[in-house]
Amino acid sequence: MLNIEHLTKRYGDKKAVDDLSLHIRPGEIFGFIGHNGAGKTTTLKSAVGILQFDEGSISVCGVSVKDDPLTCKRSLAYIPDNPDLYDFMSGIKYLHFVADVFGIRASERAEKIRKYADLFEMTGSLGDPISAYSHGMKQKLSVIAAWLHDPKLIVMDEPFVGLDPKASHLLKEMMREHCDKGGAIFFSTHVLEVAEKLCDKVAIIKQGKLVKVGTMEEVRGDDSLEEVFLELEAK
Amino acid sequence: MLKVLLKKQFTEVFKSYFYDAKKNKMRSKGAIIGWFFFFAVIMVGMLGGIFTSLSMSMCGGLTQAGMDWLYFLLQGGIALFLGVFGSVFNTYSGLYLSKDNDLLLSMPIPVRLIMIARLLNVYLMGAMYSAVVLIPALIVYWGTAGATVRNVLCGLLLLLIVTVGVLILSCLLGWVVAKISLKLKNKSYFTVILSLAFFGGYYFVYFKANELIQHLLQNAEMYGEKIKGTAYALYLFGRIGEGSLPCAALFFAVTAILFVLTWLVLSRSFLRIATASVGAGKKRYAEKRVRAKSPYRALLGKEFKRLTSSANYMLNCGLGVLLIPASGVLLLAKGRLFCDVIGQALDGRPDCAPVLICAALCMLSSMNDMAAPSVSLEGRNLWIVQSLPVDPKTALRAKASVQLILTCLPMLFAAVCGAVILPASAAVKALVCVMPLTFAAFFAVFGTVIGVRMPLLNWTNEIVPIKQSGAVMLAMFGGWAFCVVFAGLYLLVGYRFGAAAYLLVWSVLYLAAGGILLRRLDREGSRTFAQLS
Repeated sequence: MLNIEHLTKRYGDKKAVDDLSLHIRPGEIFGFIGHNGAGKTTTLKSAVGILQFDEGSISVCGVSVKDDPLTCKRSLAYIPDNPDLYDFMSGIKYLHFVADVFGIRASERAEKIRKYADLFEMTGSLGDPISAYSHGMKQKLSVIAAWLHDPKLIVMDEPFVGLDPKASHLLKEMMREHCDKGGAIFFSTHVLEVAEKLCDKVAIIKQGKLVKVGTMEEVRGDDSLEEVFLELEAK
Repeated sequence: MLKVLLKKQFTEVFKSYFYDAKKNKMRSKGAIIGWFFFFAVIMVGMLGGIFTSLSMSMCGGLTQAGMDWLYFLLQGGIALFLGVFGSVFNTYSGLYLSKDNDLLLSMPIPVRLIMIARLLNVYLMGAMYSAVVLIPALIVYWGTAGATVRNVLCGLLLLLIVTVGVLILSCLLGWVVAKISLKLKNKSYFTVILSLAFFGGYYFVYFKANELIQHLLQNAEMYGEKIKGTAYALYLFGRIGEGSLPCAALFFAVTAILFVLTWLVLSRSFLRIATASVGAGKKRYAEKRVRAKSPYRALLGKEFKRLTSSANYMLNCGLGVLLIPASGVLLLAKGRLFCDVIGQALDGRPDCAPVLICAALCMLSSMNDMAAPSVSLEGRNLWIVQSLPVDPKTALRAKASVQLILTCLPMLFAAVCGAVILPASAAVKALVCVMPLTFAAFFAVFGTVIGVRMPLLNWTNEIVPIKQSGAVMLAMFGGWAFCVVFAGLYLLVGYRFGAAAYLLVWSVLYLAAGGILLRRLDREGSRTFAQLS
């Protein structure tokens, strides 16, 4: 579903991501772990076509992000770490904007908006301006917008930050359900307990380099993910 | 505690002198000194100079006629007007909308101290503008009529009374704006209308002031008697400056009472207004049937919403929307007179009127430069368009289209008005309709091209990309330069070919240049936009 091969991204002289390769298959929830500034967001942004990278290749469903970014973007959804949405729109206007861009039919979008807004208890607030939303509400709106067009791949940067426990639980269920239907999820997190319980595979990145990748069992062994992570960080 | 609050308050007020928002870093010592020097030159040198010369022109005649009180009434009125005008726009935001409301209210700081610090800020802003009028007025008076302990003391009291009066009026206006603002849904339109009304009033008074003052001075005795007869309080107010201690005491007492009342009104509502969620106009969501739009139309709708949601954006980059049709109406009313005057003034150069009308319309259309800051205004939202399956070309064309639509529609009306009043051939009339439209189309693409080439994405206040970005400066001055070159070339050599040929050539030129720029926007512009971060 998502193939990252030898990705390198530089900011000036500094290598933010250095020769990173990852493969995310359909049905997988793939966790991406690393300290602040390790290169997680740069990798995620490169994968969804927001950032141009210097070396390597990235493909979504077999299509190169560099050569045909629009086709790639049609099959994925991205939720950033900080949901900076259009403050000048209401929640519902934003959802319709995203639906228009993805070409979702009016009847189909109405049904999905109803379903997900009810799930996240956002229906009553959809008419309010986004500027009046809390961080958590913006995050919920981002999640609803991401699920609107049935993407094959969902890329999320710290998706649980700001969400209340109920919404977090709901999002985890939606992630599992999405992957059970054959989709894939690639997300970064600092909450190692969540990654441990939720992810099928996990990758640990340190100073732009991949230091460990594999199934949860392979990475963790007999230890907890936290112990493995702290041990790798100490090296 | 108050000292700490005041220090914070003034650091905030003079932030732009210490901090470069465009470069996101502190200014150098030299730049800070330079900025303060510039401020001093503007306030003391320019404004102070203007009002000193005004005082000198008024003082001699009125004091000789024994109407010193009228001199101070006029100067006090001007000081009050300028002080209120100078500070009213900052009062509402300064008093209630500070970003540190939550922070300060969460600390063990008495609310009244927060209010005092903010009121002192409003007071100093207003006092700065009033003092620029009153201090030269007082110095000129003391120089002319002679300074005594009494009139110096009363003069200083007059300064205090006027500046506190400015504070009271500013606070009351700010309070009214806050009350209205809490109930309004479309705040941006309200702000635009209020600002335009205020600016309109200001310029009306500004242009009429000299005439009014001259008229008043010529008929000082008659007006003096009228004021004494119908508005005795104004006469007493004027007498403060002369050195009347009872009048000074009376107005001091009245001002003090009004200030206490203002304080009571403000303190009763301060917390409620300051902590009201701005923009949280709760609207019960009811599902409605919607029609799916194409990505282009969705982006266009988004750009229109961006423009109309911001009073700053509309006022600074969209004034042409109002001025262009207004110029059409003006052309219908006074156009023929304009043609006659131009015909007589530029006798040797035929058909100047159509070209100059086109130049004026193009100049007005360059006041619509909303495309230039449009890319910068994406700011932290840039990830949305970049992560959606939208061709950057489509996103950029939507930005250009907003300007194109908002300029071409009013321009068509104004150009037709121009064509109607022109005593010219059918070909010239047709080209008067066409040429400004080709310029508007070119200018919309031009603005978008420079907007994408000179983006400013790391702003914290939208006013930075709207007013202070290089793209906006270049678009605005570039637009004016195009118009000056267009009109200037005709007056120099173009008239030899006639207006029809000249307008046709420029129409073709603008169309061709617009086409080339559009191609550039679609290719290089799209690539640049996709790589912005």
